[in-house]
Amino acid sequence: MFPRFRRVTSTSPSADPMTAARRRTLVSALILLVIGLHAVPVVYRAERGTLWPFMQWGMYKNSRPAGPVQVQQRRILALTASGARDTVTPRLLGLSVTVLEQRYLRPMMTGDTTVAPRLIERLNRDREDPFVELRLESETYTVTDTGLARRPNPEVTYRAGAPPR
Amino acid sequence: MSTGPTGGWLDRWNAYWFPPAPTLNLAVCRIVAVAAQLLWFFPDLGEHVNLLLKNEEFIEPQLITRVIVALVPRDAFFTPSTFTFLYWATFAVGLLALAGLFTRVSLFLFALGSWIFVAHLFSYGDRHHTEALFAIFLMLLAFAPSGERLSVDAALRRRRTGADPAATSEFALWPLRVTHVLLGLTYFSAGMAKMLHSGLQWMNGYTLQGHTLADALSRGHPVGVWLAQQHTLAVLLSVFTIVFELFFWVSLLLPRRWTPAFLLAALMFQVGLWVSGGYDFFQHMVLLTLLLLFLVPDWWQRRLSAREGMRGAPGLDAGARVSG
Repeated sequence: MFPRFRRVTSTSPSADPMTAARRRTLVSALILLVIGLHAVPVVYRAERGTLWPFMQWGMYKNSRPAGPVQVQQRRILALTASGARDTVTPRLLGLSVTVLEQRYLRPMMTGDTTVAPRLIERLNRDREDPFVELRLESETYTVTDTGLARRPNPEVTYRAGAPPR
Repeated sequence: MSTGPTGGWLDRWNAYWFPPAPTLNLAVCRIVAVAAQLLWFFPDLGEHVNLLLKNEEFIEPQLITRVIVALVPRDAFFTPSTFTFLYWATFAVGLLALAGLFTRVSLFLFALGSWIFVAHLFSYGDRHHTEALFAIFLMLLAFAPSGERLSVDAALRRRRTGADPAATSEFALWPLRVTHVLLGLTYFSAGMAKMLHSGLQWMNGYTLQGHTLADALSRGHPVGVWLAQQHTLAVLLSVFTIVFELFFWVSLLLPRRWTPAFLLAALMFQVGLWVSGGYDFFQHMVLLTLLLLFLVPDWWQRRLSAREGMRGAPGLDAGARVSG
């Protein structure tokens, strides 16, 4: 598959309308452009998230102080009047996981009651069997000396047109 | 021969980016990258149609999306039927690029189609880093002689002119070199962001434990759940992460015999991230494997040559070998 390599001339000058020097210049410009474009999202902050595939690479940059390692796992369940239930996923909602987290999950976790009606309205677009209730479930996992401890948190229920309980 | 300081820089520039390199290696890169994009990383049409049906507006449109909207009305382009057509058209030109028919054009259109899908996906308030470098690499292949070998184009050319395809070309290595530079740049950027934002506290072990536990739990990766409970190991891996990210670019400056070690470390790093926290940088893994094999191929060619020499078979001639 990888035979002995031979050094040969790539093409004869007469067959190639572009000289090697000119091609080198053009490719060099392309190389500089591709590398240079990576500086734009760093310098031009307003567009730092919208220049894909030229991006800022500051992933997982947040730290946490020394102390117990705790994380929360949370999900929203949606129930219809007939009792059918579904987990609210980005796919069900037609939004990205980041937007689901930022616009719905986090505010609901902090007790923002204005979010649930909006979420129900969005979920029920074009649905024949509409959702009437949302349940916010979560549990806290803590790293302990003896392993991983799981503690369920109180469930919060939102009914369409009623205050949360 | 160039003279003077400008000529000296120019010669060094050309020697770095444009050394003669085997066109066969670039052809293998084309086939692997296109096949991976077609069979592994190809967009999920259902996901795109779902987004189109459930959203009347973009949340944070990518530049590529905005350019399209400026050229074509949103209602005409961003529809399920147009995207279904675009999906199959991209798949078709991908097959042409894989076979190497109209290679440059089909590769360009395949990369462009793939870019449009990713840009659309990331126009709804979410973006990820996994696709970016691979997408750039796919596009760069269109500007290099990646159809010179192992392609229908090469077979047709041979039939037409009777000439063998060029075994080497000075334009057969630069896409790999650019990818190496971009990896150095992006790893450094990731490391610097951690240091500037969090400082040394990022390496306290608790940070890595927290990130890993959250992601491993939600993605169902038991290795990560276990790792999140090992504080000392988390400290060591945090230090490794920062050192690796901050200094991977050194592989651009060191003698080339060191490059495979850095690339192998990067590959192990990405595999480790996947196993522990489910960070699915599969595109990076493909790129790193290609770089490992073809950026400085001497290391495995020498071993292969030695093995063939021991068997008495004709091996690779070190003098004739062009490693780039």
